[in-house]
Amino acid sequence: MLQKKICMLGSFAVGKTSLVRRFVESIYSDVYQTTVGVKVDKKNVQVNGTDLTLVLWDIYGEDDYQKMHWTYLRGASGYLLVADGTRKATIDKAFSLEQRVREEVGVIPFVFVINKCDLSQDWEVDSALQAQLTEKNWNLLRSSAKTGEGVEEAFALLTRKILG
Amino acid sequence: MTMPDVLENFLAQMGYALLEYRGAGSFVPIATLPGWFKGLWDSSSNPIPLSEACPFLENFLFEAEAFWESPSAALCQSETWVEKTPDGHEIPLQARALFLGGKRVLALCNPGAQFHEQVQMLQTARNALLDHERLAREIQKKEILLHCIVHDLSQPLSVMHVAMDCLSEESLSERSKQFLTLGKLASNQQETMIRDILHTFSDDLRASLNAGTEENASTDLLACARKATQALASTFEAKRVRLTVTSPDDPAAQWLVRAEESRLQRIFSNLLENALRYSPPGSQVTVGLESQGEFLKAYVDDQGPGLPKDLRPEQIFGLFMKGKQGGGKAGLGLYFCRITVDRWGGSISCLSLPEKGSRFWFRLPRAAGQPAQPAQDVAKIAAPATPEPQPPPRPLRILFADDQPDIRTLTCHQLKRVGHRVVAARNGSEALRKIRACSFDIILLDHEMPGMNGDEVASAVRKREAGKNTRSFLIACSGNSGPEDVARLKKAGFDTVLSKPFQLEDLYRALAAAPAVAPATALCRKPSAPAQVAFSSVLARIGGDAQLLQRMIRTFLHDTPKRVTSIAAALRRNNAEELASLAHALKGSVSLFGAEPARKLAQDLQELGRAGDLSAAPTLLNSLQEEIANLLGNLRGYAKQNPARPRSAVTVRRKPPRKRGKRRR
Repeated sequence: MLQKKICMLGSFAVGKTSLVRRFVESIYSDVYQTTVGVKVDKKNVQVNGTDLTLVLWDIYGEDDYQKMHWTYLRGASGYLLVADGTRKATIDKAFSLEQRVREEVGVIPFVFVINKCDLSQDWEVDSALQAQLTEKNWNLLRSSAKTGEGVEEAFALLTRKILG
Repeated sequence: MTMPDVLENFLAQMGYALLEYRGAGSFVPIATLPGWFKGLWDSSSNPIPLSEACPFLENFLFEAEAFWESPSAALCQSETWVEKTPDGHEIPLQARALFLGGKRVLALCNPGAQFHEQVQMLQTARNALLDHERLAREIQKKEILLHCIVHDLSQPLSVMHVAMDCLSEESLSERSKQFLTLGKLASNQQETMIRDILHTFSDDLRASLNAGTEENASTDLLACARKATQALASTFEAKRVRLTVTSPDDPAAQWLVRAEESRLQRIFSNLLENALRYSPPGSQVTVGLESQGEFLKAYVDDQGPGLPKDLRPEQIFGLFMKGKQGGGKAGLGLYFCRITVDRWGGSISCLSLPEKGSRFWFRLPRAAGQPAQPAQDVAKIAAPATPEPQPPPRPLRILFADDQPDIRTLTCHQLKRVGHRVVAARNGSEALRKIRACSFDIILLDHEMPGMNGDEVASAVRKREAGKNTRSFLIACSGNSGPEDVARLKKAGFDTVLSKPFQLEDLYRALAAAPAVAPATALCRKPSAPAQVAFSSVLARIGGDAQLLQRMIRTFLHDTPKRVTSIAAALRRNNAEELASLAHALKGSVSLFGAEPARKLAQDLQELGRAGDLSAAPTLLNSLQEEIANLLGNLRGYAKQNPARPRSAVTVRRKPPRKRGKRRR
């Protein structure tokens, strides 16, 4: 079966692992468990009549303690760029990560996911940031690993973009 | 057993899986495989297609193959990755490429405890980072909330200050003056309290305080104590508690301490209010001072129940600490005393007195070498004289924008009263429209207004002035006037900042800061000043023809009142175009007499009409009417003193009157 490698990128504690667990196992935990290293999961999906296996690389969030290894993106067909809507700094981090990916591996499909929309009352997405996002013209989705909102859609949209 | 055999055995016993690489992602075990390996992958086939089963290893093989092709001294090792057994158990793994006895070997190991330690450490660090972020957000929210509260509290105070200043200029009975004094005292206290809250909570202000005047300030402790007791005398009296200040043993002693006067007085007030709260009627509160070497000590003794037994003194001075009996306010008073005394290098505490009651005391370092601040007379403090508003050196054209109607009305009233010409605006957009239509010497803008705020108006004004030879003096009125706020407002284009709530003296001081403005124009003059016409200049312009001047004056006296009436009518009809046209005509006729103030007013009216915004026109028209009235008086006076020659001598040919009935149909 056709396999496509998808990487999860974003700052720490934005919910990358939770999104994968929600997508693959349909489960969610409120307890934050930091990811050290890389976790690889697989999920078979059907998109536009095509059966394929998504190989999901859940990569630790880069911070002062763990630096990103760009070799992990080798062979990736696309990536989900994840930010936490309640922490504006993670959105800024996502902007810089996207730029780094372009520099390191070139232009590949991605979808920008602003996670934790179940906490939308605490979101720090102001009008200036909205304008910045609109200007970038990215594929943008709101998601919640907790409620499942936008999770399937994000992976499906990315897969469609990968398949062209 | 060869050396490589020993090594293989050792590594196998340490839990390593040793696999020889056979190319195309397949491996052959070269030692007994550990249990965890079998739990993860099918090892029955030979060779094992490991990279197919493990995407992470497939990726690592790029680095491993490069190592095997050209081995280097550097380690070729992967970072940790996590594999999952079929039953969901997670196993951390690390891979290392080796050359063993000429074989390309991959060593896989489970870092186990070491990995879990690393996870725990990172988890703790990242949790701390998240807590820090959360805390920073909470602090930010609270600061915003605090500034909103302070702003809301300040608004009515501004009105109170200005309203009481206005009242104090009315003719009041002695009794009313006393009430007014009490009201002023209370509103000043309220303002001090608001500022104290800001000082207590705002880091910026706190930093500025540390770096500010307090280093060098010196204040008379005794004078402050007297002032505070005097201010609270009526409150104590109402509760039937006696309040006394013990006189120092040495009347000539110096009581200068290193402190800032208003806050030192606040400390006394807080301690006195606290004492009063716990004092039964008929008891006494005593304020005393003591000299303690390099320090001076002040204390407040009461005859209440004494300190609660379950509280330590430092707890009593804690934030939001309120006594069990209630009656206190937010629990900030004693906390404020502590942090302020600490900041000045002093100490503060309290104790229960042996008989009954408690003593709250503080001590402060003596001021070194500074001359004593002149202590104000106590009687004067109790009934402060109403500050006489000092008119500015010359009247100015001022635009005042504030969304608060009361502040707008009262401030405009005061500014007009001292001779300024004031145009009011209800919000930023209206202010900007008026600024575009008319020029002002000074523009006073409230910082927080709905829609377009003061910053935005200031930026627009500066943008408009760019490249021109004009610059308005912009004053921001803001409740937030900390150093960072002032820097931000100045960056937006303001020249100075008037801290809200403000009093008239503050306002006049801010106006006085304006650089020399252009000589007073029509808008700026005092209405009572008579308009002067330089008749000699007018005569010179018309070739010295006195008769012509007389005719011009007659025509002007005849036509001008009608023109002014027509302008007023156009304004009533809100017909901007007509108003502009009439003002233009009037401008031309007053110019003939060199009446510059009237000409400027007519021109301003014309500009307002052209801009289609007549909101400031009534004010201008009033001024114009006054100006015209003066001018007419002036011209009548001249005409009287210089009567025209008899009509026969006037060489003016008049058309014969038309005969009736010959009108063309």
